[in-house]
Amino acid sequence: MAHNLIITGVGGQGTVLASQVVATAAVESGLLVAVGETFGASQRGGSVMSHVRVSRDRRYGPLIPRGRATIIVGFEPLETLRVLLNYGNPSTRVIMNLRPNYPPGVLSGADVYPEPQTLEEAVRSISAGVFAFNATEIAIRAGNPVAANMVMTGALAGSELLPITVPTYEKVIEELFTGPVRQLNLEAFRAGVRAVREGPPAEAARAPA
Amino acid sequence: MSGGPDDLARKVLQPGQCAGCGLCLDLCPYLQVVEEKVVMIHPCGLKEGDCYRVCPRTPTDWEDMDRSVFGAARADHVLGHHREILFARATAPEIAAAGQYGGVVSALIAFALGRGEVRGAVLTAGAPGEMPRPALAENPEEALACAGSKYSAAPSLRALHEAARRGLEPVAVVGRPCQVLAVRKLQRARGLEAHHLAGRKVAWVTGLFCFWALDPAFYAFLRAKTGDARILRVDFSPDSLLVHTDRGLLSEPVDKVRGFVRPACRECFDPTSEFADVAVGSTEYDEAWNTLVVRSERGEALLRAAREAGVIEVKPYPPERLPLLRTAVLNKKLRTLEAQAARGESSHLQLSEGYRRALTGRDQP
Amino acid sequence: MSILGVRLDEPGRSVLLTGNEAVARGALEAGIGYASSYPGSPSAEVLGVLAELAGERGFYAEWSVNEKVALEGAAAASFAGLRAICVMKADGLNVALDTLTALSESGTKAGLVVVVSDDPGGHSSVKEEDSRYLGKVAHLVILEPADPQEARDMTVAAFGLSEQLRAPVMLRCVTRVCHAGGNVVLGALPPGPAGRPHFGRQERYITFVAFHGLQEQRLAQARAIGENWPFNAYLGPPEPEILVITAGPGFLYAREAVEVLGLGDRVGILKLGMSWPLPEKFLLRHLKSASKVLFVEEVEPFHEENVGYLVACHLEEVHPLAIYGKKSRHVAGPQGPGLGEIDVDAVIRALAALAGVPHETRSSDYGREARQLVKKMPDRELGFCAGCPHRASFWALKTAIALDGREAVVLGDIGCYTLGLTRSGYFLMQTVHAMGSGVGIADGLGKLGRFGFDQPVIALVGDSTFYHAAVPALINARYNRSRFLLVVLDNETTAMTGHQPHPGMGVTALGEKVPALSVEEVAGALGVPVTVHDPYDVRGTVEVVYRLLRQDGVRVLVLRRTCALVSARERKPRVYVDPERCVGDACGCHRFCSRVFGCPASIWDAARGRAKVDEAVCNGCGVCATLCPQGAIVVEEVG
Repeated sequence: MAHNLIITGVGGQGTVLASQVVATAAVESGLLVAVGETFGASQRGGSVMSHVRVSRDRRYGPLIPRGRATIIVGFEPLETLRVLLNYGNPSTRVIMNLRPNYPPGVLSGADVYPEPQTLEEAVRSISAGVFAFNATEIAIRAGNPVAANMVMTGALAGSELLPITVPTYEKVIEELFTGPVRQLNLEAFRAGVRAVREGPPAEAARAPA
Repeated sequence: MSGGPDDLARKVLQPGQCAGCGLCLDLCPYLQVVEEKVVMIHPCGLKEGDCYRVCPRTPTDWEDMDRSVFGAARADHVLGHHREILFARATAPEIAAAGQYGGVVSALIAFALGRGEVRGAVLTAGAPGEMPRPALAENPEEALACAGSKYSAAPSLRALHEAARRGLEPVAVVGRPCQVLAVRKLQRARGLEAHHLAGRKVAWVTGLFCFWALDPAFYAFLRAKTGDARILRVDFSPDSLLVHTDRGLLSEPVDKVRGFVRPACRECFDPTSEFADVAVGSTEYDEAWNTLVVRSERGEALLRAAREAGVIEVKPYPPERLPLLRTAVLNKKLRTLEAQAARGESSHLQLSEGYRRALTGRDQP
Repeated sequence: MSILGVRLDEPGRSVLLTGNEAVARGALEAGIGYASSYPGSPSAEVLGVLAELAGERGFYAEWSVNEKVALEGAAAASFAGLRAICVMKADGLNVALDTLTALSESGTKAGLVVVVSDDPGGHSSVKEEDSRYLGKVAHLVILEPADPQEARDMTVAAFGLSEQLRAPVMLRCVTRVCHAGGNVVLGALPPGPAGRPHFGRQERYITFVAFHGLQEQRLAQARAIGENWPFNAYLGPPEPEILVITAGPGFLYAREAVEVLGLGDRVGILKLGMSWPLPEKFLLRHLKSASKVLFVEEVEPFHEENVGYLVACHLEEVHPLAIYGKKSRHVAGPQGPGLGEIDVDAVIRALAALAGVPHETRSSDYGREARQLVKKMPDRELGFCAGCPHRASFWALKTAIALDGREAVVLGDIGCYTLGLTRSGYFLMQTVHAMGSGVGIADGLGKLGRFGFDQPVIALVGDSTFYHAAVPALINARYNRSRFLLVVLDNETTAMTGHQPHPGMGVTALGEKVPALSVEEVAGALGVPVTVHDPYDVRGTVEVVYRLLRQDGVRVLVLRRTCALVSARERKPRVYVDPERCVGDACGCHRFCSRVFGCPASIWDAARGRAKVDEAVCNGCGVCATLCPQGAIVVEEVG
């Protein structure tokens, strides 16, 4: 039986790097991993998903079948719900960033973006539990909104939904990154771990006003 | 009367009735200009718009304008409000020489900028024989560099928005009659103050006499005539185009130029800037002097200050010239009335029956 | 999934690699001497990784100007005795095909592996071509790995096979292999390319129709090898009722589908690691026992057709046998039956139907209410990144075309700017075909004036595409006196595929500094007048385009500004809206920045009724500030 993790968001949010950290940490933990991503269009504003399948003894294909995700880490509220509806089931666990990233249709006024809180409630109603917070706000406090991907990775690590220890993640981050980015990512990652363990700081507990 | 970009396109742009004043440009990202042609590049999707409200060629209640600018109905239906009609010229010989005629416009603007009465002036720049361009002068030198008549419809009012963006206030505007009307429509439009302070920042408006502007194709025609010669000055006599070049004077019958007249100008109702504070024109009667129509109290105060400072000198307008001026203006108005009648509800002239009668009855030949 | 794993000299260790990295690793283990590629998704990263390791491993790597040139260079290395790898996407194979069909006839010497990446579903391509058909046309052996481990293994094997057959071998990888990540057990790294290259005076590599027979002999030899090749494998009961024939990641999908449906005792899976030529005996052996065969493959029914022919030739042996797959519409991926990419679900549905078993992962009314929330929101459209110079270029073009007023025709090409056909490019682009095609089409239209065609013609091409395929069309245009404006959207990199260098950049794949060959040098040398302008200066660009549209002949306009993703690494000014100056809906702009100009960093702050710049997205270009009619957007240099 595999842990079927989906990391989702919008191109440019760093989902690919996050899945790389998780998958590398899984391999370092002696597990078998399959990762499925699409890039190319990924930096150009489209919806993106990384599928990460972690197993003790079985090689899987890179794509998780519909309804079979066990964990969804959503970098963007609307995308989180979308992916949950496609790949989730009532026992799926969800970690979600409440900071919206508006699609062009919303920017152009043609569509209306639902309230992030409404999206959170919808996610809650069809999953086995949600940890929702404003990861972008925490990343801004750590020094750069782009590091929200590591905040989310930290939240996944801190939730202990995967058989991978927090120090293993940290070791991977230290190996994969260099210079100031390494420090930023480590801090963001740790802030994510703390947010799960101790609850997010007040200013990051809700969706942005 | 309100309307939006669709109405502007239908009533003004598509039928070739845009006067090229330039006020809608930079008020809106969807209106752009090239070679003095204004084009709507994208439908903004609004039903009502400031482009329509400030355009001098959207329906305009002439008498209402009189009341809002001068506080009263006009007595003179042909020449509009005027306190005095004079001959005037700049006292400084270099200004007078740089100007097309008496240099009054340049002298007044330089005077106001120099004294700090205004911090910027919306003008039109450009060498003789070249397509003119909007200019924003911040000192007398920059203002004097803009001296000389221009013969096509530079969209110079876009510089008014530039002035607002740069925080220059108050500003003076020098413009063609259509541009004067546009500024007045901007100044009185309700709700605009919230976002377009430009209108509120205009201290006074100097209007020019203008019976027509030419299409920029005229410059290619001119270049073809002059070849490599350097154009020093372009002028019109009643029957000729006169081009002074470094290789001598070229003359062309004015009929050859008529085809270049901007279509919108053929339906202009106001050749003497009736809503300006002062209006300035030339006269072939005496090229060293300008005709100066003092219309508003502000205009009167400005002139008084300029005279006291010795920048401008005046003399009485020759009484025998007045009927000639009046006839020329009236004829233009009557031609436009006739042309506009065919445009129905698109007509930019909203005149009461009384006004029409006063115009057609009293002085009709 | 990083170069660290590719570089490791620890045979036997399991590391996480993408399929692309695994191919690179395989090439390293095979001891290549020469690697070449033109960047194309999904395989762009193969050469990216190889180029980084070329120095330390002692081989040569280059970004070539196009795939044909890349292949010819790799062939040369093979002739001279160096193992060579050449990497391209399916579209690139079309470009290289003329040479490739010749190479399989002329033969090669040292191992030559041609990696072709197909993009089922077109995740980063304009079409979803199945390159196996072209591989077959070229008489090539085609290998199809299922995952990163096989990508590494088959790459190593492909070099040996190529040398055994003395012909190029094609490794066909789909997106779900290239971009997939998985554990790869590493093999040993050789010290470096063996021997000094030498082209023997007596050696000949000649393409001649008389050698067609030789091509067929090589294929027969490959077929014999395939009969007992470990990558052709069977998994399942000895006498399955349903036989799944599959290749690539389809194998993993099929295996999971059988597991999910609990059909392990009824269904067997025959996996083809060698998709061409087919191991006929091996296939027939397993076809005999089944009554139904299901083909699980991407994109086209390649096996379905070829095995179908095999079945037709051996009807008596395999009868009765019913064939299912893409043609029978049983295998339907997200794009529908017979089209595009497939996944586990597609195989589950097909197998459940064939086996007559029910399948439901979760109740059908799962998320019924929540679904209403997302239903109202259309899928995210792709668009230019925040700060992308192309957005400024397209706005300037749109403006200039409107000012010109003669219904200019806008012809597109392949690159990031292909998105110019979407809202992001104001729907300007009217044609999109292949690399450089826009220029050729412009050339054609530009000669129709003799029939009264009087619309201005604009061709748009990226800098990398310009070098790749636009130059011959430009020469043709000058020679045959065409009339159009070629706008080169020069963002000083190959942005779409991940910022690979090109001839205009003055740096090679190996990081060596070389004299840059600018677009204006090339066009200038062709006698075509060139103007260069910065698209961030939108007003100036409008004027330049307007002026050039009114000129005769062929003109080139280079709109040069570095890709915002690159420049934001160096310098990223803070851009924000001054809430005092922005007047929201009181402005006549009707939310120009967020609604019309459409930069994803420009958002509408509904609570305050003002425009806003999303700091998390903005790349600091400041173009919006030059277009805001209120001058309400402030650009502030940071640091």
